[in-house]
Amino acid sequence: MDEYALGVLTNIGLFSFVALSAYLLLIAGELSFGQQAFFGVGAYAAGSATAMFGLSLPVGVVIAMALGAAAAALVALPTLRLRGLYFAMATLAAAEMFRILFELIHWQLDVEGELVGPDGTQGFRGIRWMLESGVEPIRFAGIVWLLLVLVLLAFVYIENSKLGATIRALGQDPTLAGALGIDVQRVKLGVVAASGALAALGGALFAHHNTYIEPRNFDIMLGVHSLAYALIGGLGTALGPLLGVLLDIGVLEASRFLQGYRMIVFGGLVALLLIWRPRGILDEKVLHWLRARFS
Amino acid sequence: MALLADLLQNTLDGIALGATYALLALGFTLIFGVLRRANLAYGPAIMFGAYAATWASQHFHTNLFVLALVVLGATILAGTYVERTCFAPHRAGAAAAAMVASFALWMQIEEIAMLALPKHLYPFPALYEGAPLTLGPFSFRIEALVMVTAAVAICLLLRRLLYSTRFGIAVRAVIDDPRAAALAGINVPRTTALAFAVASAIGGAAGFLVAAGDGQVTPMLGMWSTLKGMLAMMLGGLGSLPGAVAGGLALGLIEAHAHWFLGPQLRDFVAYLLLFALLALRPPWMNTRSES
Repeated sequence: MDEYALGVLTNIGLFSFVALSAYLLLIAGELSFGQQAFFGVGAYAAGSATAMFGLSLPVGVVIAMALGAAAAALVALPTLRLRGLYFAMATLAAAEMFRILFELIHWQLDVEGELVGPDGTQGFRGIRWMLESGVEPIRFAGIVWLLLVLVLLAFVYIENSKLGATIRALGQDPTLAGALGIDVQRVKLGVVAASGALAALGGALFAHHNTYIEPRNFDIMLGVHSLAYALIGGLGTALGPLLGVLLDIGVLEASRFLQGYRMIVFGGLVALLLIWRPRGILDEKVLHWLRARFS
Repeated sequence: MALLADLLQNTLDGIALGATYALLALGFTLIFGVLRRANLAYGPAIMFGAYAATWASQHFHTNLFVLALVVLGATILAGTYVERTCFAPHRAGAAAAAMVASFALWMQIEEIAMLALPKHLYPFPALYEGAPLTLGPFSFRIEALVMVTAAVAICLLLRRLLYSTRFGIAVRAVIDDPRAAALAGINVPRTTALAFAVASAIGGAAGFLVAAGDGQVTPMLGMWSTLKGMLAMMLGGLGSLPGAVAGGLALGLIEAHAHWFLGPQLRDFVAYLLLFALLALRPPWMNTRSES
């Protein structure tokens, strides 16, 4: 497999995590413009862990996910009662604050005669754990996709459990869900924290794939893209967000003849698609039909 | 004394900045009022207008008045395209789909504008080329004076349109309750589309004033307009037009002072922190009526 195709494949995996985190919130009935912040927290945390403190990537990933969940819970705690556009705007405001904080962090350590660490708007370079540990790009792609498959299996398990039904009930009608004895605030907080951890997992891997991150990577464009991926792919199954990422990064970005016109095609297609299927390609109806047909 | 002079100067600058934000917030609020949806492509439509005029100024010798008309016309055109594609088909329900569709068109419109004018910065004919007006320790840019005057005039015109015409009554009825308005014989889709066009015109005016005031356009104009407009709209409480003006002015004043005392990065931080705190605490003037 050539290097370009491998890069595209890895990127599809990486961005699926943040698209899945937006999907998780969408099925719980919430719209977030701020998942990029937790992706960023994960990238900075895991990057610092491996490049500055010499920890291994698995340890860095665990730290990143814990911090991502904590950051998301911190944002959600004062805003749990907000809904719709209000919640979306609160997450956007919080995410922009995180991005500005990334611009303000100057914290470098001397590692083997070289200054390593976040340097404000100059970014954070030298996240070379893969190179130093001899992990080849193809193996890294394998790790990313293995983790993605594990996350998807977790989604399938949860969506078929009582917890999954609870989350979807919350998304359908929170007042009714509350009346049925569901602790709405607690479930929502859990969903938000889990989505933060998922986005952070993507960010941690992204930092190690790129070896260089900067605050601009984590602006609102990433957040709204992940929302779009989840919604185009469909809200019926966790494979939906994956399909969304595949369509954008896999088909359009990789089609070199579309260079320069990609967004014109993609933007128009998405807007038209959403008229026809407002809950995405693989929405609940399609999933019901598929289940009835093949089970 | 020096501090007092700084405070006064910042306040003057803040009002000038706030006048533009107020216009952006007015357009956003009008759209939110009739549709209960946030139109993310609002800023990019404005950028499209400003880019169309920049393109015209590069190919033809045109004066500022003609360019202003080009900005307005192109913004209304782009705005109507957004309304027809993202909002008209999703009238009932599907708030997330409408918002994401408007984001998709954001990407599309921005790329079209950047294909026509790919450089990072283009000069735009300036409103005024001379030195700023100085009065004692204070300086005031003439173009800022023009912007404030224009913003006040547009607000008064909008007020007249909404409160003294049949169209205005119809718009306010739709904002109040679309179903009741329909039962009263108002053509809701048509009124909504027209209100959207009016909002686009207000945004176009803001875009023209920003481009001519700065004497330049950059591809950042789209995202800037959307973010500042939404921020000012939310600060003003979401949903009321006087609130939008107040929110715009408040945002301008806060930014001018924070910029002077804290620098550009913390300026934005303070504005977002304030919005977050307002959403978390929900003071009485924040409208809590959400989109359906």
